[in-house]
Amino acid sequence: MKESLIYGKKKVVTGNHAVSYGVLLSKAEVIAAYPITPQTQIVELLSEFCASGLLKAKFIKVESEHSAMAACVGAAATGCRTFTATSAHGLALMHEMLHWAVGGRLPIVLANVNRAMGPGWSVWTDQNDSLSQRDVGFVQFYCESNQEVLDTTIQAFKIAETCLIPVMLVLDAFVLSHTSEPVDIPYQEDVDKFLPPYKPKYFLDVNDPRAFGGLTSPDHYYEIRYKIEEAHRKALKVSEEVDNEFYQIFGRKYGVVESYQCEDAKLILVTSGTITGTARQVIDEERSKGKRVGLLKIRLFRPSPISQIKEILTKAEKVAVIDRNISFGHSGIFCQEIKSILYNEIRRPMVFGFVIGLGGRDVVPDDIREIIDFTYKADYPEEMVYFRGVRL
Amino acid sequence: MKKLDLKVKDYPELAVSWEKTLINKTGTWRTFYPKYFPKTPPCNYYCPANENIQKYIALTLKGALEEAYLTILEKNPFPSITGRVCYHPCETGCNRSNFDESIAIHMIERFLGDYGLNFVEPKRKSEKIDNNKKVAIIGSGPSGLSCAYYLLLNGIKVTILEREEDAGGILFYGIPSYRLPKEILKSEIEKLTKRGAKFIFKKELGKDFSLVDLTKEYDAVFLAIGAQIEQELGIPNEEAKGVLMGLDFLKEVNLKRKIKNFGKNVLVIGGGNTAIDCARVALRKGAKVKIIYRRTKEEMPAVKEEVEEAIKEGVEIIFLTAPVKIIKNKRGEVRGLECVKMKLSGEVDETGRRKPVPIRNSNFIIKGDTIIKAIGERVDLSILPKEIIGKKTIFADEYGKTNMEKVFAGGDCVTGPKTVVEAIAYGRKSAYLILHYLKNYEIPKKESFNLVSYENLNLYYFEKQKRIEENKLPINKRKRNFKEIITAVSDQEIRYEASRCFSCGVCNNCDNCYVFCPDLAILKKNGEYEILYDYCKGCGVCAHECPRNVISMFFEEEK
Repeated sequence: MKESLIYGKKKVVTGNHAVSYGVLLSKAEVIAAYPITPQTQIVELLSEFCASGLLKAKFIKVESEHSAMAACVGAAATGCRTFTATSAHGLALMHEMLHWAVGGRLPIVLANVNRAMGPGWSVWTDQNDSLSQRDVGFVQFYCESNQEVLDTTIQAFKIAETCLIPVMLVLDAFVLSHTSEPVDIPYQEDVDKFLPPYKPKYFLDVNDPRAFGGLTSPDHYYEIRYKIEEAHRKALKVSEEVDNEFYQIFGRKYGVVESYQCEDAKLILVTSGTITGTARQVIDEERSKGKRVGLLKIRLFRPSPISQIKEILTKAEKVAVIDRNISFGHSGIFCQEIKSILYNEIRRPMVFGFVIGLGGRDVVPDDIREIIDFTYKADYPEEMVYFRGVRL
Repeated sequence: MKKLDLKVKDYPELAVSWEKTLINKTGTWRTFYPKYFPKTPPCNYYCPANENIQKYIALTLKGALEEAYLTILEKNPFPSITGRVCYHPCETGCNRSNFDESIAIHMIERFLGDYGLNFVEPKRKSEKIDNNKKVAIIGSGPSGLSCAYYLLLNGIKVTILEREEDAGGILFYGIPSYRLPKEILKSEIEKLTKRGAKFIFKKELGKDFSLVDLTKEYDAVFLAIGAQIEQELGIPNEEAKGVLMGLDFLKEVNLKRKIKNFGKNVLVIGGGNTAIDCARVALRKGAKVKIIYRRTKEEMPAVKEEVEEAIKEGVEIIFLTAPVKIIKNKRGEVRGLECVKMKLSGEVDETGRRKPVPIRNSNFIIKGDTIIKAIGERVDLSILPKEIIGKKTIFADEYGKTNMEKVFAGGDCVTGPKTVVEAIAYGRKSAYLILHYLKNYEIPKKESFNLVSYENLNLYYFEKQKRIEENKLPINKRKRNFKEIITAVSDQEIRYEASRCFSCGVCNNCDNCYVFCPDLAILKKNGEYEILYDYCKGCGVCAHECPRNVISMFFEEEK
């Protein structure tokens, strides 16, 4: 591919290829990945970039996702900028190595295309794969559009390398991954300015050979774990700074959360991923009818933007959390998060939880309207969780 | 500071050892240790001259042609000749032949040989001629010339006595110029003359001088008279007009003389290289040619490629057929050959091949007006003193030491008819014995071989690659001329071919050991690797991942 056809152009690309371009522009040095639908296109295009020499990276073909992350861990430990992509069962298979990436403080960037877990076998979207990895310690971003996907990819490397913590960016299967949208591809020199080469603080150095990740006794383990928590707290601040810096150069920003029409809202919807776009449209309609509804988009899931969420939601009377995921026997996972953030607040809204669109079932404006109507009318959430659209 | 006083801020971001890992000498865990243990590649091993083939291919790949050429000269002074006429057992032994196709070693050798024809070698100190040490060499065939070269290299004054009018022996008179052009041979001999070799032509042993004469005049004599007498068939009418001797026939053609009693239908008897050469030469002289051979194609001692070329050119080979009687007319001219059909019996003869036996009542006649006998050559023992004669040849040890003081011998006259490269190897070995005799040189130690077999290689690191092909003169352009059949290939093709070499048993700095060592216990120093035994756990990964079997593992007790 000719370089002149890429940089500084508006291109119509899929969400998957938006990731690929983001990685290209970020000048990743090692990519190790195993193909899995609906992610495959990401690394397919990257492998072509590597083969053509456009991206001067080592592309490691591996035999499983566990190995993919293991290879990334090894590469990142030498001080390389490292990337991988996966989905659903691939991410599940990586699980052990995700802990290694976090504990090793390796700034790996992972793109996960949200795909429902089998069985029943599915390739369509929901968030249970990535949310199952909530507690490993990866930073998690949920994206709404292909432009946001590309921009978040570039931001992810900067956040990861600043805080020494791996970052997962998440996009919905098919709704984003295989859907084309016009995307601004930045100029390389702008990205270079924004994201200078990675200068590792720790790396495998033959001239100063040390053991990494060795046996750590109870006398020391806790302190080192605490440093990971510190890194997450830092990452929250850094994510906002990086987003602002990005805005200075590229003119686009997303925030760690986005508050839409929330100022005087009595009811606020909480969404993530592509449902946000649908909800935004419904909010506009409802507003025109005079309903005081707003929308809170959670972009950064981990570290949790606690104060931002509190500030926005405590002003409302009711909150409806829309979850494209489920923690069986309890409720939607975002809903739990929101509740736990609000619990100790003296003035707090009523929180309604809705699970919807599992396994990639379409979430359409009518669904959102129903949720709004239901919550508007209800005085109190009789149920821990409401299942929208399930044929009971 | 006590470690338990450490606060969060005092810790590194991740669990990293307080000390450098160098304090942990993991080498003590080892039960096996690896060692760089270069071995013999099969090409070198199977080369009768033990040329360092792997080395000159590696040098060719690097573009160090001068060094590559000089590497061949250590074992063989005439690569432009052997590159053309050798039957290249190196290629048969080449490990790559099990993988895809063997390296075209003879083409690389020929390329370097031709490069060397225009290359003036740097003179060595040892070459300064010592006038007090004079050696006579009888015969200017491959072993004589080879011996001369190595003697000249070491300052011996060399005189070569040749009964013919041109130098080269079998190379000049036997091998047809479509295989070895005369200019090539002349250039090699010129190089030798420039080094100081003195040729005396038309002087024949037994006629113009005797061996004893020479021993008086010279400090040593090297007999390299070859095996030049064609064996008789032992059938009726061999004296008929039109019955020719193989080597004589080739000689006449090489001298461009008109051949007496040469007709249009030629029958060549035999299955060796002389027979094939005779057949192809007769073809070029405009005759129809049939080869009569008593066994099958499988057993033919001739070089396979030559047999195939002969067939392509139009030579017919009649297998499992032996001559019984030559048929002549009243004027005593050949008119045909009575033959008998043969079959291979279960019995194996001394050559390891199944013995052919005649089938009763299967006699038949093949028409023809010329018969060329080429069933093998023998040494002319009649001109030699009894004391140095063995069974059928001159008796000498592997370095050419005979039973006569000052007299050494090598090549076909000792081994019986063999190949050019074997004669060259013999000439070289004899030269070193003569040097030992005259100047008390140490005889080069017998090389010990530790052969790398195909199974020893790690083939995951190689890809299938086609062997380069020879440029051959098309069949229709070979008629009635003696133009060289195989023409030169480009530098790029040679470089490509060199890149196919596995480099069996010889390190070529591929870095696999260095890259794979999980303990970083291999260091690179000035292009060489060093194993840090303090840290090597003896896992064997380096030995396993070495594609060419350079690294071997040994029990720790044996160290």
